[in-house]
Amino acid sequence: MQFYLPVAEMSANILVFLAMGGAVGFLSGMFGVGGGFLMTPLLIVAGIPAAVAVGTEAAQILASSVSGALAQWRRRNIDVKMGLVLLAGGLVGSVLGVQLVGVLRRLGVFDVFVSACYVTFLGVIGVLMLVESINAIQKSRTGRVVSGRRPGQHNWVHGLPFKVRFNRSKLYISAIPPILLGFFVGLLAAIMGVGGGFIMVPAMIYLLRMPTQVVVGTSLFQIVFLTAATTILHASQNYNVDVVLAVILMAGGVIGAQFGTLAGERLRGEQLRFLLATFILLVCARFAWLLIARPAELFSVSVAGNA
Amino acid sequence: MQALARYRGTFVFLVTLLVGFLILGTTGSEAQRKRGKQAPPVSVQTPQSAEPEIKREQQPGAKESVEADVSARNIAVTSSFNGTEIVIFGAIDGSQQPSPESGYYDVIIVVEGVPGRLVVRRKGNVAGLWVNTASAIFDNVPSYYAIASTRPVEEIAPEEFRALHGIGLTHLKFTPAIGQKDAISTEDLKQYREALIRLKTSERLYVNRDHGVAFTGKSIFRASIVLPANVTVGPFDTKVYLFREEKLLSRFQVRLTLEREGMERFLHSFAHNLPTIYGFMTVLIAVSAGLLASTVFGRSAH
Repeated sequence: MQFYLPVAEMSANILVFLAMGGAVGFLSGMFGVGGGFLMTPLLIVAGIPAAVAVGTEAAQILASSVSGALAQWRRRNIDVKMGLVLLAGGLVGSVLGVQLVGVLRRLGVFDVFVSACYVTFLGVIGVLMLVESINAIQKSRTGRVVSGRRPGQHNWVHGLPFKVRFNRSKLYISAIPPILLGFFVGLLAAIMGVGGGFIMVPAMIYLLRMPTQVVVGTSLFQIVFLTAATTILHASQNYNVDVVLAVILMAGGVIGAQFGTLAGERLRGEQLRFLLATFILLVCARFAWLLIARPAELFSVSVAGNA
Repeated sequence: MQALARYRGTFVFLVTLLVGFLILGTTGSEAQRKRGKQAPPVSVQTPQSAEPEIKREQQPGAKESVEADVSARNIAVTSSFNGTEIVIFGAIDGSQQPSPESGYYDVIIVVEGVPGRLVVRRKGNVAGLWVNTASAIFDNVPSYYAIASTRPVEEIAPEEFRALHGIGLTHLKFTPAIGQKDAISTEDLKQYREALIRLKTSERLYVNRDHGVAFTGKSIFRASIVLPANVTVGPFDTKVYLFREEKLLSRFQVRLTLEREGMERFLHSFAHNLPTIYGFMTVLIAVSAGLLASTVFGRSAH
């Protein structure tokens, strides 16, 4: 079933993109990740221009994060104050990132830049997760218990000025690290078309040492507002948000996520992480190959001003 | 259900806004379409638009004249648009051809889309990675170019004529833009030019059909060309040349227009003319979709 996408200006098969949304939704439901870092590369591989993939994906992440954030809100698992501080940095990062996308598109290097970013991030995260999950699997076989966070420990983060009290997180730390973290994630969100949860969550746990129960909620809270702002910025400055494509992906994603959540409950945590790590490394390898292999056609044509 | 009741206010508000946008959207596009019917859109296009839809030119001394038309002068690009085929048919007034197969006359048909500016980029290997390293900008590149003829155009029309009128893929009249970013040698320019034509041909946007025009009667001929799904909207000039023994007898020109219609038209112009509001609308749709999902399925995806 063909459908003409108004902004991407291409004819696309609805079923293919519905299935793609469903598959990524399934994975994101199963692993509890946002899915942006899987969806954007898949869209690019499927022939959607990189810039349109990034802009449209922001809208889809928004849709899939809203329900999660709402659920966390009901359980009072959101540190609003921390979320707002992260968001302050995030919005600055997003504005800058959207500008950067525009500049890179005009220079004709956006596609390569995005690919390089994906290879780096997917590679690092994939390897880290793989090692961690293999260790966890081995430990669970030998019967040892894996120890979690050790509370009360201090690191360099606690020595910085501008200290703020975050009641919900039971923290009294400088506002600088969360603002910088927010900025970095905002930049990534705009350039790579991701929510950034896969960086935000570990950073909150290990760097800011926030209590685990508010980490996911607070991350989702700031992702909702960040992706909303990023969508509007992309739409107004780069004209690269395709609402039709976004709606197709949302529909697939919402349905896929429901089944993914069910499937995720049947699998063990470390096995899940092992599977996800393998999948991430496969996507990474695909992007790396595109960058390294000599392309069959060295030339490309585009409308002046776009990538 | 409790949760549903709690957020009902917000939800109803968002749905109302969404419905409002959709109503606004459909009426907006209706109005645009009505306006479009009265006067063809003048939009962004070229000087082409100022020209009459039909042009004819008779060579002095020639007894024959050619006339032609296309199967559809206005083609709508709607959400189901997946490319289209158009038929160009024509007749020779005062034909002296004994039979359709005799090859007494030669016909060349050229269908040309909107001219525009394109960048051709070349990848190079930088530290092991394939990156766009050089580029050339061309002006007046037709978005679409199809040529069909009774036999190869080299046998029909002399070289000078083809060069002058831009007949055939090798004679396309696009030019390097003034003020290139990089200085480009003549040899490189030739490569860029060839790459442009090669890429456009592989996208089926440039088409060359040497035996694409067929006579179906002593004076009647026809050709069909395909406009693929990725074609740029705008006016297309269809030029028909009538030849006899390498001499032009008559010329005819008719325009067909490819236009976005309905939802396609509305969303495209919305995204480009009111981009910020379009962004807000997208956000609204996304939020509504998320809220809808959490009320329908009763729990979150996370």
